[in-house]
Amino acid sequence: MEWIAEHWPGVASLALMGSGVWWLMPRTVQRPKVVGLMIALVGAYLMASRVRAAEGPLGETILFSVFATAAIACAILMITNRNPVYAALWFALVTLSTCGLFWLQFAPFLAAATVIVYAGAIVVTFVFVIMLAQQSGATAYDQRSRQPCLATVAAFLLLGMLLSTLRASTSDDFHVAALQTPAAANSLSRPPEGEPMDKDTMRGLGRSLFGDYLFAVELAGTLLLVATIGAIAIAPRRGRGTL
Amino acid sequence: MTGDVERYLVVGATLFVLGALGFFTRRNLILMVLSTELMLHGVSLTLVTFSRVHNNFEGQSFTIFILTVAACEAGLALSLILALFQKSKSLDIDFWTELREPDLPSPRLAEEAERRAFVEPAPAEYPRLTPAGRVPEEVGRHDA
Repeated sequence: MEWIAEHWPGVASLALMGSGVWWLMPRTVQRPKVVGLMIALVGAYLMASRVRAAEGPLGETILFSVFATAAIACAILMITNRNPVYAALWFALVTLSTCGLFWLQFAPFLAAATVIVYAGAIVVTFVFVIMLAQQSGATAYDQRSRQPCLATVAAFLLLGMLLSTLRASTSDDFHVAALQTPAAANSLSRPPEGEPMDKDTMRGLGRSLFGDYLFAVELAGTLLLVATIGAIAIAPRRGRGTL
Repeated sequence: MTGDVERYLVVGATLFVLGALGFFTRRNLILMVLSTELMLHGVSLTLVTFSRVHNNFEGQSFTIFILTVAACEAGLALSLILALFQKSKSLDIDFWTELREPDLPSPRLAEEAERRAFVEPAPAEYPRLTPAGRVPEEVGRHDA
């Protein structure tokens, strides 16, 4: 009880967000979606108000708020939508918002690559498979969810643990490692003498990928090849009149 | 830790937890895989944030590898789902609850299985389009 009295704003924000998500969960009785989304967003706003204030410029704060709200709202709508096609499209919006957050963090190449790979390829493949498999429209198993109460409580307990760990951390936890030099065995991974360490260009990322992680890049290429062969081997043969 | 780092980590943690929640509750095979992709988004965001904190590119490099693995995973998972769909003609995960150790109880709740017999709505039908024009007559083969 004392613990709850001490931490009630955090608990209240998590409980609000959790009950909003629980409200939106698909079940046989239809509920108005706006109510659940509003409750969840109020909870998210309370959660955001507990985060320490940022020191960055105002423009970044505004853009961050837009992208973060869009990401969380679209993620909630994605996991609770009854129609798998809509869920895939909400997932594309989550991807775009996450790419906005990447872009705010000096990772423009990563933002572009994620848009191309996720929104361009993965979501399209998902929509294709949904169209192939669910040609008869709405199905029964999309109208119910498994253990909505227990799952929501467990998930938001996990979120509470993560957030309390984040709150307890201090800046010392993060800047120790920044002083160490990167573990670069390869001379390719360092900029040439006199050139500053560029932070937000593709050049630095390329140096890291093809200097420090060259072996891993080759391995990732091999993994892609193996996965392609595996997908072709697993995919069912096309019979007459079937998939 | 300054607030402008913490807020990105909070968004990453929230995306991860929402993805886990979707994986727990949804019964559609495709949506479960999509929820794991949402979890990967949360992890990617966290890695990029730490890359910015440490002022090096390791987090961004890891995110590119996550992207690669996610693409492989999506391809393999979708082909597996298609193979399962051909067997059960449904994307319902409950069809595969028999795939477990023989001494474990069924993950399907008894009252759920009971309710299922009553509330199962018929799949909604899409409207059929009327054929454009009349059906052409077969001509030529016998007349000639």
